[in-house]
Amino acid sequence: MAASRRPSDPSTNIPDYEYQDVNTKAFHIGSFRTEWLNRLKPSDYSFQVEDEDAFDAKFAQELGVNAETMMELKSVCNVESLRCDDAKVDPEVVPPDSTLQTLVQRKEKQDLKASKKFFKNRHELYADELERLTIGKNPELVDDMVPEGELILTINVFYPDVIEKFNFIRPHAALLMMGSHTLAELRDAICCVSDLQVCGEFSNNPDAAPSFLSKDHFKSAFFYFEGVFYNDMRFPECVDISRTTIEWAESHNFPPFSQAKMEDTRFVDLKVKVGFPYLYCHQGDCEHLIIITDIRLAHRSDCLDKKLYPLLTHKHRFTTQKCSVCHVFIGRWFTTGDRLAPSDPCLFCDKCFRMLHYDAQGNKLGEFQAFPFVDRGAFN
Amino acid sequence: MDFCLKQVQSDCEELLSRFQRSESVRFENFSEIWREMKFFQIFYGTTKRQKRMFARLILDKAYSFFLPPFSFQIRVGALYLLYSLYGCQTASPQEQIRVPLKDWEDIKRFEKDAVDAQHLDVVYILRQLMAQKAFYFTAMPTLLSYNKKRKLQKSLQCVGFMEPSSRPQELVSTELLEELAHIHGLYGKMKGSVFPSTEQSASSVQLIRKDLVLELRRTVVDFYQWQCKKESDEDEDDGGEGTSLQQECSKRADLLASIKSKAFGQASETCRSRRHRHVELNVSSNEVGSSGFPSAQRLSLKARTKRDVRISGDMRKEAETRTQINRLTSLDFPVTKNIQKTQKEVSSEDDDA
Repeated sequence: MAASRRPSDPSTNIPDYEYQDVNTKAFHIGSFRTEWLNRLKPSDYSFQVEDEDAFDAKFAQELGVNAETMMELKSVCNVESLRCDDAKVDPEVVPPDSTLQTLVQRKEKQDLKASKKFFKNRHELYADELERLTIGKNPELVDDMVPEGELILTINVFYPDVIEKFNFIRPHAALLMMGSHTLAELRDAICCVSDLQVCGEFSNNPDAAPSFLSKDHFKSAFFYFEGVFYNDMRFPECVDISRTTIEWAESHNFPPFSQAKMEDTRFVDLKVKVGFPYLYCHQGDCEHLIIITDIRLAHRSDCLDKKLYPLLTHKHRFTTQKCSVCHVFIGRWFTTGDRLAPSDPCLFCDKCFRMLHYDAQGNKLGEFQAFPFVDRGAFN
Repeated sequence: MDFCLKQVQSDCEELLSRFQRSESVRFENFSEIWREMKFFQIFYGTTKRQKRMFARLILDKAYSFFLPPFSFQIRVGALYLLYSLYGCQTASPQEQIRVPLKDWEDIKRFEKDAVDAQHLDVVYILRQLMAQKAFYFTAMPTLLSYNKKRKLQKSLQCVGFMEPSSRPQELVSTELLEELAHIHGLYGKMKGSVFPSTEQSASSVQLIRKDLVLELRRTVVDFYQWQCKKESDEDEDDGGEGTSLQQECSKRADLLASIKSKAFGQASETCRSRRHRHVELNVSSNEVGSSGFPSAQRLSLKARTKRDVRISGDMRKEAETRTQINRLTSLDFPVTKNIQKTQKEVSSEDDDA
């Protein structure tokens, strides 16, 4: 509403909604940063907190307030006065006799939860652990400090939609990145099982399997933002896999796409819509949606160690498929045509696989085919 | 965490409407209400991870009241609310208040207004939040992840917090009136210069009213007074809400009782003719339809138009006198005949009955 009053200038880099609460119009990230920095004093986005006395003195001087009024003002506006005097109420417990509707609801929910038997959810524990590793970290070296006024982007990377049934959850990982990062750094931070797949049958030589990772063989990948394909061209064996799409679009009278190099593009050079889904494609056809959910200036409560970025803040934890022998370890091998296995196909962990299918000298027992298997939840 | 959004909203609205009723922008009044409602308890009982999520949610909600469609007083209340919530939150490290770039101008203007009006506590608290680094300087007020909603819920239920619309007043300022008078004069002169000699020809081009500027001004003043009057009327209505509902209920009960008694009374009187009784029953059922079940939810479009649209001066009379349909057309002969015929039939049928 506030925005509707202003004349809307399409060239402006002040982000505004394209669709309310869904996504914004496209804007240039670097200019957005400059717009903020022009409006703020360096002390506003500095990581240092101003000294209280200095603040008071400055305030009194600017508004022409005498010392007495200043004292009164300070005592009136004290946050401590807002917390009431009753020390006996425990902040961890919902107060039972509250008139606030939020608390009435919270009480009801907790009572309901207490009356039922719930299994402990480990996801929260993992999330807490992830948070503990990163929040408020300061670097050991001053050089590794995130500069003041740097941009922090929150990027959601969604996993490809391969789940058979429709779920209400959209599994994704959330990453924090700085404006000075390149897209190639984002690419390296995304971990996806299809990078770790090993193609081929290895029943004759199971030790050789790990040296055939897809990541090392097929290095091409691209990001797609606002009509531009950003290709990964860091290695000589990289191919421009966006070519096919571009040529197809040309032959079908679509608006033209352009190309750029992933490793030369920093986030501040990009022009994007916040909240709008874009694409990351690797291994030929493994497609992830990418949504930039937030862009803001760095704050003193952020992780200030440059080296920890790209920083993982959320990760979906998949259920893993276990070995059908021990039911303890995650499956590593996948066999077919196997007379020793209870089913066809069948999953084994490395240890059970070798104990069952090979003798002490490592000779193959019986006829079967074995393929290396990488579980989706391998990164949990 | 979204499950408690409604509750949080209504709690915030309750606090702010109490603050609004106090008719003050002082922090003392606010903190009194805050303590009275024990609002600091709103963070109590949230467990580990929920602490952050809940703090995020309530700060976002409170921030939404801090922006322009709301009146200055509500915005001050929202600022105090943000300050208090920020100070009282249990999450550590604290969640920050998200300020999008597009709102920054509004905040600066708000600060300037507060400085000009010497509201020291408002300025102090705003600066204090800045100094405490309580703000994230962001692109958008919330994280956006392309969440399309099936249904758009109406977010603004709190019309009472808004400033009365003052567009006409803003538009028709003194400067504009002066400018208009000037241009009007020039225009008149120019037209006059085409006919230098005769008075008559000059007046024939004076198609616009001469006192245009005066009239414009009077209309705006009229509008303003009407607005004030309407507001005070509404206030009175609000005050009597509780009792009027009760009255309505009892009215309905009385009405039902009277209908019943009428019906029983009729049953005992057997000598009345059939036709007569029929008519009377009709009357009572009409009563039920019109006033027995007052459809208070929504007035008709006509009623609302009458209430909300302001027509000043002679226009009202013009608008109220209707053009009658027989002035536009005259009926053809055979048609009138037909009508007469049908009327006859109807009357004969009546007789039969």
